[in-house]
Amino acid sequence: MIPEYYEFRNSTKILSGTRAIENIPFELTNMKVTRPLVLTNKQLRSLGVADVVIGALEKGLIPAATVYDDVPVDSSVNTVNDVAKAYADSGCDGIVAVGGGSVLDTAKGASIVITHGATDLMQYMGSEVLVGDRMVPFVAVPTTAGTGSEVTSAAVIKDTERHVKMGFVSYNLLPDVAVLDPRMTVGLPPRITAATGMDALCHAVEAFSCRQANPLSDCYARAAIDLIREYLPAVLAKPKVQKNRLAMANAALLAGVSFSNAMVGIVHAIGHACGGVAGVPHGEAMAMLLPHGMTYNLDVVGDRYGELLLHLAGPEAYCAEHPADRGGAAIEAVRALNRMLHDKTGMPLTLSQAGVTEEQLPVIARTAINDGAMAFNPRDAGYDDVLALLRRAF
Amino acid sequence: MKRRIIAIVFFFLGRGFAACARLDSRVKREVGRWADGTVVTLRVAPSGPQTSWGVNDGVFRHLGSRPVESTLLVTFKNPDGALPVFLGMKGVLQAFAEHRSTLAGDISLGMSVVRCLHIVEGYLFPAVMTRRILPSPAHREKPMIAAYALTIAISSAPVFVEGGAA
Ligand SMILES: [Fe+2]
Repeated sequence: MIPEYYEFRNSTKILSGTRAIENIPFELTNMKVTRPLVLTNKQLRSLGVADVVIGALEKGLIPAATVYDDVPVDSSVNTVNDVAKAYADSGCDGIVAVGGGSVLDTAKGASIVITHGATDLMQYMGSEVLVGDRMVPFVAVPTTAGTGSEVTSAAVIKDTERHVKMGFVSYNLLPDVAVLDPRMTVGLPPRITAATGMDALCHAVEAFSCRQANPLSDCYARAAIDLIREYLPAVLAKPKVQKNRLAMANAALLAGVSFSNAMVGIVHAIGHACGGVAGVPHGEAMAMLLPHGMTYNLDVVGDRYGELLLHLAGPEAYCAEHPADRGGAAIEAVRALNRMLHDKTGMPLTLSQAGVTEEQLPVIARTAINDGAMAFNPRDAGYDDVLALLRRAF
Repeated sequence: MKRRIIAIVFFFLGRGFAACARLDSRVKREVGRWADGTVVTLRVAPSGPQTSWGVNDGVFRHLGSRPVESTLLVTFKNPDGALPVFLGMKGVLQAFAEHRSTLAGDISLGMSVVRCLHIVEGYLFPAVMTRRILPSPAHREKPMIAAYALTIAISSAPVFVEGGAA
């Protein structure tokens, strides 16, 4: 498949493997950073995860000028402004962000404030609005294997006072360096491992089938799914094996590159709404909704899903299936994976199991059709379509 | 030349949108949800043309090509990327997906604008064109001729939005 036109960028340098974190000081030196701000949250500090990075910086003789560990679960504009202030107050010249999606998004938001001297982040909301170079060298160290935020050009920041979820999409937000070290994810509990893994799978499947899919993003998506097929079951069976963790971190990164350039669709649009309205964790929403989203899109991109069967189920299953049935079989493969994760980790299979009430469905549907991800879904979906899908997933 | 063609389309699209905000219950409902002070602009870089719509004191208006402070600004990077969209050869979401345009402001408002544009295009363009660019066959609540008549007549007449102050 070759689109009439597409754009693609992944400029982030990637360090992946055992003791990758010990190379961060070298990378900082490369970028002429001498006083990094380490951004993380309290939980990662108490678990000792953030301290692996902080310790490595000390040993590398580029200790943190300050550690900001007050990032909440949802990145908010107040936190972003706080971080920007701490950065200036401590005379910092770069950010090392250690965390999941919210920490990395906070770092991206802070880089906008610092670079543009922004007093109101809302001015920079939107797609391809930011101009000029980012003035903040930025190292991203993900502590979950899911969001792919370490290689994406997007960030979401909440303005809690104005009740606005601000979305930013700009190549300007891509981190300079992404560091995948198995020590960062080895302690993740099974259910979070499963949910974040399904988030990564969803990124790859949606990127592969969305309006903006292109030959480069396709490569990343296929490679991500291959790793997930092999290593998501493996990491749940043997969570302490570093190779399993590293493979899943790579899968999440690959899927991140893919969707940063091809975007995501209806599953994310509805999943964001389930999170906002009913507090369903993002990865769990992705897992539950993915087969339903694929079923909705099947008529339009069934052939594309058919191609994914090779990666979702392996070459034997792919060859055994009639080409016309491969799209449907791909959906079945996702359902089978969900059932396995449900059995192993207790992850819910339906929205009702996840605590969503029937009364919330219309609100979720109304929110979902206004989500930016809906713009990229290969098949248009209106309020009634989304509500019907939600009822099927309920 | 391309700019001139787009300017002509903007003339009709601008007024057609305002006409549909009166004629069509779906467009009326959408713009009724826009916050007061909303100004939506479609623009072609680097030097126009552009067209805007806004809600002020509960009144929805077509603001024409005058300079405005936009709360949502969709900028096509050049006339070549914009022309297929405004000649009904490419869907507006496809163009956005192809990075033909940037978007400054809240994407959720952008989604509402797109839904409106789809309905408006259903009135302004013949089925042979909309088949390619609209997500589903154009559904018109009123006859095309009524929309055209109002489009020509409407100029910048105000449209009172649902639930608005006026
Ligand atoms: Fe996601």
